[in-house]
Amino acid sequence: MMAALYVVYVLIGLSLFFALAGVVGMLRMPDAFCRMQSSTNIATLGVLGVIIGGIIYSFVFLHNGEMGVKLIVLGVFYIVTVPISGHAIAKGAYHHGVRPEKDMVCDQYGEDLEK
Amino acid sequence: MTTLLFFAICFAVLALCLIIRLVKGPSVADRAVAADSIDILSDMALVLYALYSGRAAFLDIALVTAILGFVGQTLIAKYLEGRL
Repeated sequence: MMAALYVVYVLIGLSLFFALAGVVGMLRMPDAFCRMQSSTNIATLGVLGVIIGGIIYSFVFLHNGEMGVKLIVLGVFYIVTVPISGHAIAKGAYHHGVRPEKDMVCDQYGEDLEK
Repeated sequence: MTTLLFFAICFAVLALCLIIRLVKGPSVADRAVAADSIDILSDMALVLYALYSGRAAFLDIALVTAILGFVGQTLIAKYLEGRL
């Protein structure tokens, strides 16, 4: 019983570490696309630890199946939608005129747009 | 368990730190991404508070804010792309 509690705490702590790394990256990265990459770090690894730990906690300690099922739905929703919105915002930023700070070595998306 | 409340406060503090990027961000995409990350981090704080208090209603709120954040960010991306 106590071992499961420590597993939950370790999962949430790992997730907190990844969220902290993502926040530091979003505050210190040099240009917009690097910051988008850090934000996906928050949205995937920062979420999954909390969700899995919460599922274990609600089934083992709270004996509350309702909360566990809602957490499963929330986790599946995050896994499905985070890549979609990240891809969409990166594409939109490129079309809006945001470019990386250093000169790009190759710009294949721009070459595809010119065709 | 008080540890869950401590973790929830940590996530809320991280979400507050991102307001710096929301105010300062040079481009629109930076601000949209920062707002979505604040949404996700406050969602995690809500989930942890729901586990702490044992009430499932906070999870409903977390689900609704997740859906609204996804729809909002995708709409902003479409608008920036010029196809809306």
